[in-house]
Amino acid sequence: MRTKSSITEKRIEEHSFLCLSSSKTIKNRVHQHTPCSTVFAMKRPISRDGDGNGDLLKMKKVKVDGDANAEENCVLRGMRYFDDNVLFEVLKHVDARTLAMASCVNKQWHKTAQDERLWELICTKQWANTGCGEEQLRSVVLALGGFRRLHSLYLRPLSKPYSSSSSSSSSSPTSSSVWGPISQAAVAPRPKPLPPRLGKDAVHLSLSLLSIRFYEKMSNFNNRTR
Amino acid sequence: MDELLAVVGYKVRSSDMAEVAQKLEQLEEAMGNARDGISQLSNDTVHFNPADISNWLETMINNLDVPPPPHPPLPQQHSDYDLKAIAGKAIYTTAARVKPSPAESSSSTRPLVLVDSQENGIRLVHTLMACAEAVHQNNLSLAEALVKQIGFLAVSQVGAMRKVATYFAEALARRIYGLYPENPIHHSFSDMLQIHFYETCPYLKFAHFTANQAILEAFQGKNRVHVIDFSMNQGMQWPALMQALALRPGGPPAFRLTGIGPPAADNSDHLQEVGWKLAQLAETIHVEFEYRGFVANSLADLDASMLELRPSETEAVAVNSVFELHKLLARPGAVEKVLSVVRQIRPEIVTVVEQEANHNGPGFLDRFTESLHYYSTMFDSLEGSVNSQDKVMSEVYLGKQICNVVACEGVDRVERHETLGQWRTRFGSAGFTPVHLGSNAFKQASMLLALFAGGDGYRVEENNGCLMLGWHTRPLIATSAWQLATKSVVAH
Repeated sequence: MRTKSSITEKRIEEHSFLCLSSSKTIKNRVHQHTPCSTVFAMKRPISRDGDGNGDLLKMKKVKVDGDANAEENCVLRGMRYFDDNVLFEVLKHVDARTLAMASCVNKQWHKTAQDERLWELICTKQWANTGCGEEQLRSVVLALGGFRRLHSLYLRPLSKPYSSSSSSSSSSPTSSSVWGPISQAAVAPRPKPLPPRLGKDAVHLSLSLLSIRFYEKMSNFNNRTR
Repeated sequence: MDELLAVVGYKVRSSDMAEVAQKLEQLEEAMGNARDGISQLSNDTVHFNPADISNWLETMINNLDVPPPPHPPLPQQHSDYDLKAIAGKAIYTTAARVKPSPAESSSSTRPLVLVDSQENGIRLVHTLMACAEAVHQNNLSLAEALVKQIGFLAVSQVGAMRKVATYFAEALARRIYGLYPENPIHHSFSDMLQIHFYETCPYLKFAHFTANQAILEAFQGKNRVHVIDFSMNQGMQWPALMQALALRPGGPPAFRLTGIGPPAADNSDHLQEVGWKLAQLAETIHVEFEYRGFVANSLADLDASMLELRPSETEAVAVNSVFELHKLLARPGAVEKVLSVVRQIRPEIVTVVEQEANHNGPGFLDRFTESLHYYSTMFDSLEGSVNSQDKVMSEVYLGKQICNVVACEGVDRVERHETLGQWRTRFGSAGFTPVHLGSNAFKQASMLLALFAGGDGYRVEENNGCLMLGWHTRPLIATSAWQLATKSVVAH
């Protein structure tokens, strides 16, 4: 059992490995066979500790807690020993695109990356405060199809900078709209690749569309496809 | 024989049309040129058989001593003489409403081109108008000939124009031949059409989202809420509202829904089915839900007592109507009765979505023109949609409306759309005051449109507290919200 000795030696590699949002893809990392020791505090279910800060892309610190909690799965030689828990912890800190790519790596990664809790983190980080409680939101969204779907179908398209539509819908020259400027500002295209904070309206719209989709998919609705 | 000209008394073989056209041009040139010589044509020359245009023209030309123009440099002489202009003017200046089809689409130096898409587009519109006028004047034989011509011309077009023209031609034909469409259409069919229409374009979604936003605001702070929906259909509006109520800070209120709809032709209780589905959804998201479905042939058959209203201290009520109120205008007094029933309900808010057009004018020709413009714009907006099956179904859905506006009369004509201004007057005199829709409704609507593929042409506009969705510069539907005039003004 290689534990603490390898930890100290490999700390630098771990650190660089864990900055998953860097330009190299995850798959490259996988093949590097970098031993990654389980020195995180592994807690299930998720509790949002200090790690869950909003600044995913600049994750400098990994909570390296090399005490008794890290007893399981410390033998790491190649990714095949890479435990689900560890992977889960790592994926808590990535952005949406990376998480989606992670689910394409292999079966284990697919299973882990599809976890609704990870996607819940991704979604809620983007949001302005919706006003309702976490539990409330979670139960409703999971019932209606889940955070992953919410994100890929609605949140992502809404947060993409869209060019002509936003300007055309809000700046009609003949209208007496007083909210034209506000609307435009809310959806102005962002120069940075970071996912922009979505306003309340975008969130509500996405949730509404998710609920409609759920309703449409309910059993006896698909008459039109017959 | 060319049919169209035959109706107005001229006999021309279709194969001779090009030649006749050329002769007409020559004649016109000659008449324009001959300052002093025209009177001889009427006084001295004897004309035979003007029905035979070809020979008659020959006679005229010979009398004027017009040299046959091999390749005359005519355009230089009459630089402002634009043959293409004949297409429009001639229709309206000649009393017999002959379409001078031969003379139109060419310049005299080139051989005639009878099929020219852009020309035909103009001709198509003019023929439609001419036909409508003929119907208006009850000149059914002329109308019949024109309607056939529309069919030919429509085929030469592509896209939205072709479809609109085809539907209007069919509607006109029905009116001419007295083949009124069966009422009512089978319920499941019209439901299916509406579902496709819902998917293809954002109009219904816009209607639902904006109405829901108004309802949500009116329901703030209430613990028991009741929505009375005049336009139940598939219940597509309510999942989003229930979701929004479920995520309300402090938890969802108890939600009660009363759905009102027409009887199903096959006696199936489809309102109950919809209610059942909504109940399942409500259970999934833990919203207390109660449902009642009412079948009514017309909204005017309703009474407040049937609705089992509870005292307003315990239950806040909203009334919702999407594209339903205009149908009441077919019977005198119906809309007033419904509005008085709504007043008895004492709702917190009444949300109304209607088409933004005046298709209820007294004169047929005006209605025809208005609806031609309106539906051309609607069809145009559908062109950008991706799913072709959905698109076709949506077009059929709109086509039925077109048929109703053009072909039906009296009680059968239910698509009696009126403009926002007209509805404002109506609601105002019925004792309601407007509730302004908030900017969040506007923003959500704008974002919704942005999500739609091909959504570049859609415009959301705010109009004195109401929201309108249109295509480019033309507003097509309008959402408005109302409350009872006697209520104290609540901060909305």
